[in-house]
Amino acid sequence: MGMFKIIVLIFLSINYLESRPISYSGGHTLMHFNDSMKESVYYHYSPIYKFSMGLETMKNKVFSSNETNIRFTYLINRKNKKLSQRNLYFQSAISTKDNNYTYGMHGDWETRRYFIGFDYKEVKNIIDYSDKHIHLGVAPYLGEYGDLHTWLMVKTKKNSINNKQITYPVVKFFKGNVLLELGYDKKKDWDIHLMYRF
Amino acid sequence: MIRLLFLTILSVNLIYSDEDQHLHQHSHNNDVYVQGEKLEVDEKRFKKFIDGLSNSQVAVVNVNGMVCDFCARGIEKTFVKDKAVKRIDVDLERGKVLIAYTKEKEINFDEIKNKILANGQNAIDFTILNI
Repeated sequence: MGMFKIIVLIFLSINYLESRPISYSGGHTLMHFNDSMKESVYYHYSPIYKFSMGLETMKNKVFSSNETNIRFTYLINRKNKKLSQRNLYFQSAISTKDNNYTYGMHGDWETRRYFIGFDYKEVKNIIDYSDKHIHLGVAPYLGEYGDLHTWLMVKTKKNSINNKQITYPVVKFFKGNVLLELGYDKKKDWDIHLMYRF
Repeated sequence: MIRLLFLTILSVNLIYSDEDQHLHQHSHNNDVYVQGEKLEVDEKRFKKFIDGLSNSQVAVVNVNGMVCDFCARGIEKTFVKDKAVKRIDVDLERGKVLIAYTKEKEINFDEIKNKILANGQNAIDFTILNI
């Protein structure tokens, strides 16, 4: 990826959601993710709040293959305000298979009521492709600490393999240390993302 | 004692209320002053928090970036490791963390700041209330 692309991505990145890609210092996270492109189980550890590293076992649905990734996420920038938080992350993964790798950017801005986020990934695999997501969300109610929290979201995504953009609704729930995100589109079926922090 | 504390706080609030009106247009009904500093606490929440506590000190910490429950979980986990911490409450709406310490604890704001920062948020200031 050229320098210009990287700069453009950085400037676009005031805004995604792989829901909190880094935990608090000393935190462990276990995730299960399933969509039309992949199904994965990912464990990561955050020695400090600025980065996480972990292992992901993944079934690649595009190429019907299994692989293991070593993933690294770094918080490039965070802006905490009284009523909002903005994050920009660099994400990367190196596969144990055929020197495949992935890198990209992830950004989000949220208040207790609104969420906007993006994710951009370049994937080097049997076929190289890029994958883009944008999330917009609103919380229908503002829960207290410890309550069940709900987000109603719209996700739009596109990858360069089929070059089709799909937009579909997503609902996200979290309570305590558990987060569940469900998205559905009749053409691509379910997006399921389950996360547990400890 | 609690009632006395609130009466004192509220009376000081009344004295300053006119002066403050123009400066804090978004003030809450439960804005209070402790030693001349503004402190927004929810009365019911605070009462519930200190219920059953005695011989304690409560640090009321203003925190920036505490916008969701899931991302504030680490704050609780970090503070409860400290044996001097009796109780903790996260008030997402007001961006506050209430920490009840033993009376003997020497509360240090830098220590609080570092613990909040370890969770990725920023502690801005704090006030200590003796219970």
